[in-house]
Amino acid sequence: MNKIGVIIGVIVIAIIAGAVASLSSSTSETMNLDMERSHGTISTAMGSPILGDHSAPITIIEFGDYQCHQCYNWFHNTKPAIFEDYIATGKANFVFVDMAFLGRDSPKAAQATYCAEEQEMYWEYHDMLYTLQEDKIDGGWANSERLKAIALDLGLDSDLFEGCLDSGKYSKRVQYNTQQARDHNVRGTPNFIVVGPDGQQQLGGAQPFSVFKQVLDKMI
Amino acid sequence: MTSAIRLVFSNPKYLILSITIFSTMLVGLLILSEYIFLEPYVVSHIPSGTEFGFVLIVTISALSALVLPMNIFRINILKKSKQKMGGGVFGSIIGAAAGACSCGPIGFAVISTFGSVGATATAFLTNYEIPIRIIAIGILAITYFTTVRSLKIECKFDPNS
Repeated sequence: MNKIGVIIGVIVIAIIAGAVASLSSSTSETMNLDMERSHGTISTAMGSPILGDHSAPITIIEFGDYQCHQCYNWFHNTKPAIFEDYIATGKANFVFVDMAFLGRDSPKAAQATYCAEEQEMYWEYHDMLYTLQEDKIDGGWANSERLKAIALDLGLDSDLFEGCLDSGKYSKRVQYNTQQARDHNVRGTPNFIVVGPDGQQQLGGAQPFSVFKQVLDKMI
Repeated sequence: MTSAIRLVFSNPKYLILSITIFSTMLVGLLILSEYIFLEPYVVSHIPSGTEFGFVLIVTISALSALVLPMNIFRINILKKSKQKMGGGVFGSIIGAAAGACSCGPIGFAVISTFGSVGATATAFLTNYEIPIRIIAIGILAITYFTTVRSLKIECKFDPNS
């Protein structure tokens, strides 16, 4: 009788432990994720947090790679004006969806942003990557060690961040985002889909502010 | 030097060829390098920090437009070998390829089609875009000077005239 009791007890404990482990894992995986979130025809559930007013009538979705030079150009030359005129004013919001295809460090860099998101520093980390981008693809500026150093510079909890990055827990999230890009015929980065109340428009390449202004003003 | 240019481009056929090569290469490379966009509006811009790349594209297009017709002239008129033509074509192709395989549609197509080999090639062409373009300009410049020297000897014109 005692033996049976011990066996049942062990099984019950194992089930409870398994359930707790699975629950805690799914909690961290789905953190900040609204699985239903989509803009136009694009599922942005696995993309970045929304930058700007969540209820803004227009959403600008950028498909980008952290090692892409044209994404760097757009980030520094066009995005500041869009942010100032449309995102900060509540006319539009912004979502970044990874299309990590350029090199072996691209997916890792994208995963690192979601590790930063766990500590509510997604956009700070995202901005830092585009600030620190160097000329060479896979030249080492976005390898694991540098990604961890960036986290440290931003004041993130190192142990938490390193554990997250080394576990590769967001690799599927990045793959999903890259697949979203492919499903929407995105053939290079940066690529944008501007979703307005009456439809959506795709813009390929690091286009200047004047083009975005014309497209956005038409939608408002 | 100017005599050789005058000799070749006094024929309108070579002048038209030169203009065609220059405009096609320039517009094509500017589109590939995202200095010109065709959709949704035709627009051109030079983002800050990319001015040097722009100057290299203009230089490659101009040198290609100079060297290729001169070599075609040499082959057509003087029935000489196509050896020097190779230098001009090679310089033009590597100069064009340097910037084309970045994060744009061509780079994506190369990586999608050729996998890791394509990715390595794309990364190389992107990482060394500026040095490759400078090498292409060097090849085109050397081809230009050797072509001019050949024309001087083969056509026996007075270089000072």
